[in-house]
Amino acid sequence: MAVSTPSGPSRVRSAGRWFDVRHRGPGTWAYALNRITGLALVGYLYIHLAVLSLLARGPGSYDRFVDLVRSPLFLALDLVLIAGWLIHALNGLRLTVVGLGFGVRAQRTMLVVATGAGLLALVVSAVLLFGD
Amino acid sequence: MTITATLEVFRCAPGGVDGRFESYDVTVHDNATVLDAIEAVWANHDRSLVFRHACHHASCGSCGVLVNGSEVLPCIVDLADALRQRSPVRVEPLRNLPLAGDLVVDVTGFFERMLASTMSITRTAEDALPLDADDDGGRSQAVSVPDGLARFNRFENCVECGICISACPTMATDERFRGPAMLAALGRARAESADPQQREHLLDLADGEHGVWRCHSSWECTQRCPQQVDPAESIMEQRREILRRRFRRRVR
Repeated sequence: MAVSTPSGPSRVRSAGRWFDVRHRGPGTWAYALNRITGLALVGYLYIHLAVLSLLARGPGSYDRFVDLVRSPLFLALDLVLIAGWLIHALNGLRLTVVGLGFGVRAQRTMLVVATGAGLLALVVSAVLLFGD
Repeated sequence: MTITATLEVFRCAPGGVDGRFESYDVTVHDNATVLDAIEAVWANHDRSLVFRHACHHASCGSCGVLVNGSEVLPCIVDLADALRQRSPVRVEPLRNLPLAGDLVVDVTGFFERMLASTMSITRTAEDALPLDADDDGGRSQAVSVPDGLARFNRFENCVECGICISACPTMATDERFRGPAMLAALGRARAESADPQQREHLLDLADGEHGVWRCHSSWECTQRCPQQVDPAESIMEQRREILRRRFRRRVR
């Protein structure tokens, strides 16, 4: 019963379709962003663990690193991290609710609300990060 | 009045061999559809062009292609609108289905799935509805109509064009995924059936890692469907039913 694709594109090329948002609707943008932010957050987790492992080398080593990441460049990267987290978390909530069959017809509204809430939270985060 | 347009048409041998775009200039009447333009390419430029069509009014679902990157039935897309989007107008075969040649994809596997859903392709919608139960010898008395006739009819509208299969990004990486059309048909067949065993069987077919749970919610099937069938909603509703069934079995 499987649809055979004997001469179809490779799996890697097919997976590229996940991120091809050309001519697609907002649902695909959310779909692609959820994947990109998911992969990025997993990558960040390893960076985070590597940084925490500096503690094992004593407080001096960790403090030097913390001084470095207080620079505006790293604060801007923090904002990118927060944006990625907000996209993944808020859209993830929407997908969980809708994916279990609840509020299906409100999925577009949920996307708009999640986008609005995310942008608001991002602005608040930026003010808190750069405010003082 | 006529308009002249350039079409970039995907050409290939069976299996997608030697795939390339070829440009053709066509002159057609100014209210022509994209399908009219494709037919003009065939009639005036190259009789070897392989494309499929029948009804010219979005009923048969056989002419589905990508026009300027989006899945459409070209028989209901005005050439002038397509030209406003992009010139030259680009015409490609549907994705996620084996290429049979030029603009035609092999829909054998797709139709086999639709048959497996038990949705009869040849049945007329009227036979399924209990509107004239007194006149039809009781044929339709076993049919139950769920809330809202309009919603019930929506899933009947599927013309099996394969557009949702092409638009689904998940379909690209899981060839065993049953796909939006079959899952919508399963939901529709289940809504219609009054036989509890058949309803359980249809829900079993929709369940599983290549069933409703493989959908990753891009909503492209619903976005692209030329008949407003809304497969995504059906998929999510069946998930809820499957969860409800599992919950009931656990608490029993």
